This record gives sequence, structure tokens and C-alpha cells, in this order.
Amino acid sequence: MAINYEPKIIGFICNWCSYADADMAGTSPVNYPPNIRIIRVPCSGWVDPLLIAKCFWQGADGVLISGCHPGDCRYNEGNYHARRRFALLHRLLDYLGIAKERLRLEWVSASEGQKFTQIVSDFTRELAELGPRSEG
Amino acid sequence: MDLELIQQIRGLCRDLLRNGEINCVIGYERASDGLTARPFFAYEPAAVERLIFDETCTHNLVKYLSDKKGEKIAIVAKPCDSRAINLLLNEGQIKRDTVFIIGVYCPGVVETGWNRKGETLQARCQTCQLLKPVVYDFLAGQAPVRRTEGERYPDILEVESKPEDERRAFWLDHFGPCIRCYACRQICPGCYCPECFVERLDPMWVGIRIAPKENELWQAIRAFHLAGRCIGCNECERACPMDIPLSLLNRKLEKEVKELFDFQAGLSSEEQPPFATFKKEEKLGFEE
Amino acid sequence: MNLLMSRDDLIRWLELLLQERTLIAPIRVQGLLLFQPVSKVEDIAFDFDNTTLPPKEWYLPLTETLFSVKSGDGHTELVPATVEREAVIFGVRPCDAKGIAMMDSPFLQEPGDTVYGERRARTALIGLSCKQARPECFCTSMGSAPDDPSNVDILLTEVEDGYIVQAVTDKGKALLPQGLKESKAALPAPPEPQAVPTEGIVQVARKLFDEPYWERLADRCLHCNICAYVCPTCYCFDVRDYPDDGKVERVRSWESCQSPGFTRIAGGYDPRATKGARLRQRFYHKLLYFPEQFQDIACVGCGRCVKACPVNIDIREIINDLQQLGAKSGS
Repeated sequence: MAINYEPKIIGFICNWCSYADADMAGTSPVNYPPNIRIIRVPCSGWVDPLLIAKCFWQGADGVLISGCHPGDCRYNEGNYHARRRFALLHRLLDYLGIAKERLRLEWVSASEGQKFTQIVSDFTRELAELGPRSEG
Repeated sequence: MDLELIQQIRGLCRDLLRNGEINCVIGYERASDGLTARPFFAYEPAAVERLIFDETCTHNLVKYLSDKKGEKIAIVAKPCDSRAINLLLNEGQIKRDTVFIIGVYCPGVVETGWNRKGETLQARCQTCQLLKPVVYDFLAGQAPVRRTEGERYPDILEVESKPEDERRAFWLDHFGPCIRCYACRQICPGCYCPECFVERLDPMWVGIRIAPKENELWQAIRAFHLAGRCIGCNECERACPMDIPLSLLNRKLEKEVKELFDFQAGLSSEEQPPFATFKKEEKLGFEE
Repeated sequence: MNLLMSRDDLIRWLELLLQERTLIAPIRVQGLLLFQPVSKVEDIAFDFDNTTLPPKEWYLPLTETLFSVKSGDGHTELVPATVEREAVIFGVRPCDAKGIAMMDSPFLQEPGDTVYGERRARTALIGLSCKQARPECFCTSMGSAPDDPSNVDILLTEVEDGYIVQAVTDKGKALLPQGLKESKAALPAPPEPQAVPTEGIVQVARKLFDEPYWERLADRCLHCNICAYVCPTCYCFDVRDYPDDGKVERVRSWESCQSPGFTRIAGGYDPRATKGARLRQRFYHKLLYFPEQFQDIACVGCGRCVKACPVNIDIREIINDLQQLGAKSGS
């Protein structure tokens, strides 16, 4: 475990359910760790696995994708496609030696109170325990 | 070489070319070493005499269909190659009525290179479940004896069982020698994008640097782009001048796609690619 | 005067060189044979045919930073590429050495590539004569020979009790260890590689630009970069600036005229859009354009492309074909 290691997390947050939840966290008294850099995207289905891979290869310790619950996608099916893609990407990255725990796909709805905050806090803590991504 | 088989193919191609049904036959001829095979394009009836078919005919000729779109082509296709034809049909890259498929019963191909003809069948042939092509207009040859069914993924399981940091080191070691010649991409029938992601300089996904990290990103994403599409001909690995074990990547994804989505590429001419579809209720084992 | 070096002498000498310089030699890496810097002389493969990649990567690396520009605090600084130690490349075959010498023509003519020039000045070549010719070799048809000392600083030829040593240049003489005895033995007869009819090929090629031969040949070409990358005399590259965090790096990497889009220009036009045009370019560069500028045919007959091409595009076959086509079309 590295001392003074602050995990770098990139978060692809869908504009509709998830971002609303993240927004709410910003206006409420609950904090979440600043380790995450949020990128607002139209839909979790928009996220290209190439983007995720590039994040890891450029030094991210963890990547979070957050979208609407299956069935609630603003564009009807984007999150179903995301679900398939990331199921496979998980296994590929794990095979290449990038721990499964470093990539998270979460479903968050706008009305789920502090779920987003909880996810980010948990993820940051887990990554801190896991350690930084080894070189390469 | 099975002379009856080759006479069948030559006779058929001669007729097809003579009566103008096709512009060109894509098949195999003897290579400059006098021992192995290489792709051959016959445009005139007399040229069919150069066609051969034997255990050195390893090339997946379906790659060339993407170069010859719009023309009427006859192509010699082994069972694995025919799966690539289905892939191109499913993805709308070729029209069925522009290609005359000369399927061949295939007893397997040997390890082969220039002036080198191995004794043993290639690993992909040893575990091949297909005896005859899955799509064809004419079937040449005779059904071979069914091969012993071997385990398809023991080497994959071995890599999977390594601890994480050993896996990391394993892949960096193996991607290190990559010189980004892109032979793997160029020989692959599934890689037909007019502009590959690796050529993009704005945004620059990979760039021009030839170094282990960039090489790994290149290999990982190419493998991902072929997930559910790779038909396992393994020509990429054969072409690689740096002996990179590409099939360890491609077969891993083939295994996962089968497990996750119960799908294998190219077995039917009318199938939905696994990433173009979904099931509303499916548990893919990583959420919750 | 030729000298004699025993096998033990050679090991000791290499160990000495290793202390003062970067020693680059053929090493087995993941089952491949590549020229790499050596940390222990025992790692060197002494008994080998030839390496997968030629030693050109030590003059023109696969990827290198030409220079960086750093900006900040109101001033800008140009940081040139790092200057390396003196280096010695051991185990260079005469064909590969000719390849290096040939690259000097484009890279050192005015104004000159300074990075290449510095490496060339700082690197000595210890050549190793070939004991046998491989089926793909044809160096004697390309102005070289299995025992040609022309382009190395020292040439070693293996004999029963060690190596006959020819000090070719002053640089080579200065590198040799003291106390080597004179060798009175005659140099062994070199092996005889296959002959390829290269006589008059430049004039023949000049006439055949518009032949449909090129598009037909290119049907099976995959347009990967293998032939150019394994070739001792191919040297195309791409240059790109990488901005990152207050500094910009100018990076140069290998490229090849075979890549689709190699000649695509702003606006989308591509003068070599067809497969045949690209394939013809590579062979014309070797057999016509380079000799017209620099006298040598840009091929050394090492045969690496013949061995490595996945679809058997064979330069010897092409030269034969061109000679035949040339004869048919009249003088």
C-alpha cells in the first residue's frame, strides 16, 4: 500500500438519472471524495470501451460508469448495450491484469438520494486499499 | 495433394470464368518456395491450371472479398473461412449473389511459413468442430475423418490462473516486441474499417509511438473490436513477425462471448451480432 | 595483415568492450533473435543465421524523441535528444552492414539528420561472415557477399580454432585488443547464395511503370508493414508532435509506403490510392529511384522480406518477372 496515494477515478455519468443524483449531492450537505473526475455523457450506452481502456492506460486507478436502471433509459436501450459491453470489457481487462474491482458499472436513478455519493465514497476507499495501478 | 479435389475445383472455375459468371477466382497456388501455398487470383480460364489445394493452404482468402466489392467473385473457402463469409454477410459488407463459394472439405492445415511445411496440424485445426463449410454454392472433396476433440482453452485457463501482477507482466512481455506492422489487422477478414481507430490522430487514441503501453492498447482494443466476430482462423498469429500469441487474446474473448451470450461468430448467415442486441433480463455477473 | 582470435579471446574482448560501451548483439528474446543491448556476454547468440529485425533500429529507432520543447515561467527551452554512449554492434552480417551504409546516403547528405549522424559516428560495427547461405539469401546479386568486409569496422570469419580478424577501418583497429597473433591461414571460401538476374534491372524497371503487372501482383498483398520493417534499407517514418503538460515532444516512428493512406494529403486526395500503385512504389524505390539518386540498388539480398511476407510477395520473383516483361516489350 502506497502512502499518500490518492486514487484517480474517472466517472462517465449519464446526463439523466445519474448526473441528477450527482448534482443533488452537490447541493446537499453530503460530501463525496474529490478523487473522481466526472465526465457527463448523454447515456451509459454512449461510452466506448476504447475510452475506458484509454483511461486506464493513461493512469486512472479506477473507472466508474453510471447510468439509468435497465428499463429506465432515456433512449430506451442504451444501458442494455452498455451492460453487455462492460460485462465483456471487465473480463478482458481482468485477463490483462487490471483487477475487476477497478471498473464499475452502476445504475443510479435521480430519486435515489445519496446512492451516487455512497458509490463514489465506497469506490474511492476500495481503490485506496487496492493500491495504485501498477505501471503499464 | 488430393488430385481429384483439385481437378473438381479447376474444372468448375474454368467453366465459371468461360461463361462470364464471375470476373475472378480467388484460390491458392504454389508459392515461390515450391513447397507451400499462397493466395492466387485467376482472371482467365487458362489460369485455373495454377490452382491447388493442400495442407499448406492456410490463408483466409475472405479478406480479399472486401477489396473486390461489386465484382462477381468465386472463392475457395475452408470451413473456418466460410464462417468469415457469414460474418461479412451478416454485417452487410458483401451481397450473397456476388460471391460463388467453392467450399472444400478440409482435413486441416499444417504449421507453415516460407520454405517451411510442418508435420503437425495447426492448433486451431486440432480443435476444429467443422468438417465442411457452413455456407457454400459447391462442395468439393470428400468428408475427412472426424478429428479428436481436444480442449480448446487450456492455455487460456493457464493465463487466467496466474496472479494479477504475473498476468500484467506476462502481457507486457508479450506486447513488448510488437512493431505495429499491422499485419494482424491487414490479414484479418473482420478488420475492414476504412479508417482503423489506431489511425485516428484527432482524437489520438494510440498515436504513432511504438512502445509497450501503446502496443498493449492497440492489441486490447483490436481484440475487443473482434469479440463475437473473430472466427478463429488464427492467421493474425501466423502473420505476426514477432511471434506474439494473439490467439491467447482472441480465443479468450471467444470463450467469454460464448459464456456470456451463448454466441459463436459466423455459424449462420442470418444472425444478430451479440453487441447489436440484448436481453432485458440477463445476468452478466458483474452488477449488484 | 589478418589476425587470429580464439573463442576465449573473443569472449574476453567483448567483456572489455561491454565495460566501456553499449554492446549490442543478437540475443534471444521471447524466442526471437534480435539485436539488443547486452548485460552479460553469455546472453549473446554466437551461432545464428540472421536476426528477425536488421540492426537499422540502432540508427533509426522504431520510436524516438527528436527533441522536446519546454515552456514555462516566461521562457521556452529546446531540449535535444539524449546523446548516447559509444556503442558497438557485434554480429552484423555483411548484407546488413551494406544496408546501414546505404542509409547514409539519404540521412547524411546535406543538411543531414543530426540524430542519425551522431549515432553513426558513435557506433562501431563488428561484422561476422556467414558460414552458410540460407534458401532466401541472394546478397551476391545485390553487390555484397557473405564475407564482404566493405561496410564494417572489423570483420570476423569463423574458422576451426577461432576467428580470422580483419581490421577494416582505423576505428576498428583501435578497438581490437592487444596481443593478437597474426593469422597466415587463407580465408575460407564463402558459401554461394542463389543468383537473381539483377543486371540492367534499373533500365528495365524504367519502362514498366504502366504495366498491369503491378495491380495483379498487389491483389494478394495485404499492405501491412512487415516487408519494410524487416528490410535493412527501408527507412520511411512518420513524425508527430505530442503535447503533454507544458512540454511538446516531437516523436518519430517507423512507417511504410505500403500502409493504405500513407500518401493521403489534406483534402483527402491520395496519389497512391490503389494497391498496385503502393506496391509498385516500394519496388521502384529499391530498383529505380534510389539507384538513380545514389547508384546502389536499395536491396542487400538478406531475404528477410521473402521469409516474413505472409502472402509470399518475393522480390526475387518480381525481378525475374520484370526482366521477362522487359525483354518482351523490346529494348
